[in-house]
Amino acid sequence: MGQLFLNNVQKFYGDFEVLKSIRLEVKDGEFVVFVGPSGCGKSTLLRMIAGLDSVSTGDIVIDGVRVNDKPPVERGIAMVFQSYALYPHMTVFENIAFPLRVERLVEEKIREKVEGVARILQLDKRLQQKPGMLSGGQRQRVAIGRAIVREPKIFLFDEPLSNLDAALRADMRIELSKLHQDLKATMIYVTHDQVEAMTMADRIVVLNAGSIAQVGAPLELYHKPQNLFVAGFIGNPKMNFVPVTCEAAGPEGVTVLCQGQRAVIPVAPRDNLVGKTLTLGIRPEHTHLGHGDLLIDVVPSVIERLGVNTVAYASLPGGEAYCALLPGSAPVRVNETMKTGIRAADCHLFDADGLALERRIDWQKLELPEVTAGE
Amino acid sequence: MKEPAQLINRYKWYEILGIYCGIFVFLSFVLAPFVEGFLVSLKPLSQLFSSPYRFVPENGSFAAYRTMWESVPGFGRYIFNSFFISGIVTTVVLCMVVPAAYAFARFEFKGRGVLLAAFLAVNMFSGAVLLIPLFRLMRSFGVLNTYFAMIVPGVAFLIPSAIWLLRTYIMRIPKELDEAAYVDGASHFYTLRRVILPIAMPGITVVAITTFIGSYAQQFIFALTFNAKTEYMPLPVGLFAYFGRQEVIWNELMAASFVGIAPAMIVIFFLQRYLVSGLTAGAVKQ
Ligand SMILES: Nc1ncnc2c1ncn2[C@@H]1O[C@H](COP(=O)(O)OP(=O)(O)O)[C@@H](O)[C@H]1O
Ligand SMILES: [Mg+2]
Repeated sequence: MGQLFLNNVQKFYGDFEVLKSIRLEVKDGEFVVFVGPSGCGKSTLLRMIAGLDSVSTGDIVIDGVRVNDKPPVERGIAMVFQSYALYPHMTVFENIAFPLRVERLVEEKIREKVEGVARILQLDKRLQQKPGMLSGGQRQRVAIGRAIVREPKIFLFDEPLSNLDAALRADMRIELSKLHQDLKATMIYVTHDQVEAMTMADRIVVLNAGSIAQVGAPLELYHKPQNLFVAGFIGNPKMNFVPVTCEAAGPEGVTVLCQGQRAVIPVAPRDNLVGKTLTLGIRPEHTHLGHGDLLIDVVPSVIERLGVNTVAYASLPGGEAYCALLPGSAPVRVNETMKTGIRAADCHLFDADGLALERRIDWQKLELPEVTAGE
Repeated sequence: MKEPAQLINRYKWYEILGIYCGIFVFLSFVLAPFVEGFLVSLKPLSQLFSSPYRFVPENGSFAAYRTMWESVPGFGRYIFNSFFISGIVTTVVLCMVVPAAYAFARFEFKGRGVLLAAFLAVNMFSGAVLLIPLFRLMRSFGVLNTYFAMIVPGVAFLIPSAIWLLRTYIMRIPKELDEAAYVDGASHFYTLRRVILPIAMPGITVVAITTFIGSYAQQFIFALTFNAKTEYMPLPVGLFAYFGRQEVIWNELMAASFVGIAPAMIVIFFLQRYLVSGLTAGAVKQ
């Protein structure tokens, strides 16, 4: 079992509140990813779960037991560090065997376990080498091997792939997902890379400046971000934010005035919206040339042709950045006006405090991303 | 084939000339006394005060290296004493400094900064200032004229700088290694023994060498003050035996100096094998 419950966990460094009352429940066997910009407190939270940093207030509960004052081993966790933290003077075998030697397991058992782990991680041929002779990916696997050899209830990963090159990172992502399926253990994974978060997580926890901005399944965050921060953080290129004025709010949605046009956005209305300035969120992949419920004319200043896609960057009259993700062969040119159309159903709407008005969609029924459905 | 030098290592001819001139000047100041000393040890005593003075000995021989053992029969014992005292001092210092340096490098505790500053301050007092109080202390404990009297002050005065040296080295070892070991359930002592000690070996070797040399150098003053027994005298004091009643046997004195240094040189030669760098390669991603 590997259940984790963070009950209003708080962390201060001096007067500086690094983490603000984090409340989170992680189910047994879940793959949870903490994602957020650099410095938002991801590592600190993970180190507190591991038992490397103390908790200022609140409780950390693992399988129903409060573990605030227990050392890491007694918590049943294993951690893979942001740097690999391998012992440079020991062979791969000894590195993986280290936790078992601490436990004083008999030599036979150690050999059996280490070799088992090495087989899973394809390190069998490397067991007698020192970490200095291995490639980045292999070192990472040794670090993972040292974590799984102890068969912990909860795995903690702190940006384990951040220093690998892009191709290797993609491979390791798949390997880690497989490992999770095989081990069926709870995994908590910290990253600042939203691709890692989207591809591996059962649930994503988005952190912003020490608080949880939103918790949800990857596609839930994509389709129903609860606030401007999550909307801007999840998705690449970033969501466009266009200031609009609310004209009416009714059961069919909220009517907004945007660049001189009216559109009814199908979101749950709220009281006292009429007359207020709201923020309309438009994902670049939801813009289409020429047709839509809402038309926005812009002059792109930079165009990136990626082959499969074309990305056009422009700015709106108010100065806000505006980006459109178009098909690879889109007939757009720098300094020539392009007409982008957006379906009202694809839009997000946020109030003055940056909180989302709930979209009327059931994201779990959306089999395919809307970018293809819209054409 | 000769590898072309890296760009950063390429010098103009006049830069190279300057570098070698500099090296020559400083090296001659350092080495000249040794060369002169060695030449003196080869000369017969009569030639030493001949004028005009000649640097290169005529009919030089190694006779002094033989006769020195006869004119001062206890000389072997002096070498042993020096070696023994320095060896014990180094061992004791290492046993105390390794855990202490680890603690100073890794743990936050009250008074850490004050203690470190105090160590530096102690280093600034030379032992000489404290000789009289130390003498009285030893006399009241009744340990004058023992090895103990020469070893304990030696240890005490060498510990501070050794802690500073080793602490700096250990601080360069990534902290994640300790944390990884801690997460895996290792105690501090287990981590120190299995993880930190092997990686810090080059640093420990440097500390061992400097402590050994330091102890060799400071024996003189401690032995002179705290010890009157000939059989416990270390080498530097033992050399005075060549100062005869009428004349100093210079050639034997020089020969004895060289012979006396030899064991220390051998120890250092064997220790330097551990001075390999790059031991942390592959520990963390750079
Ligand atoms: N030991 C420390 N003392 C003071 N501040 C710290 C300490 N460790 C981290 N912080 C601060 O806490 C914040 C969160 O850090 P961290 O958890 O490492 O962020 P990240 O999300 O990039 O992993 C940062 O602003 C950092 O400056
Ligand atoms: Mg971090």
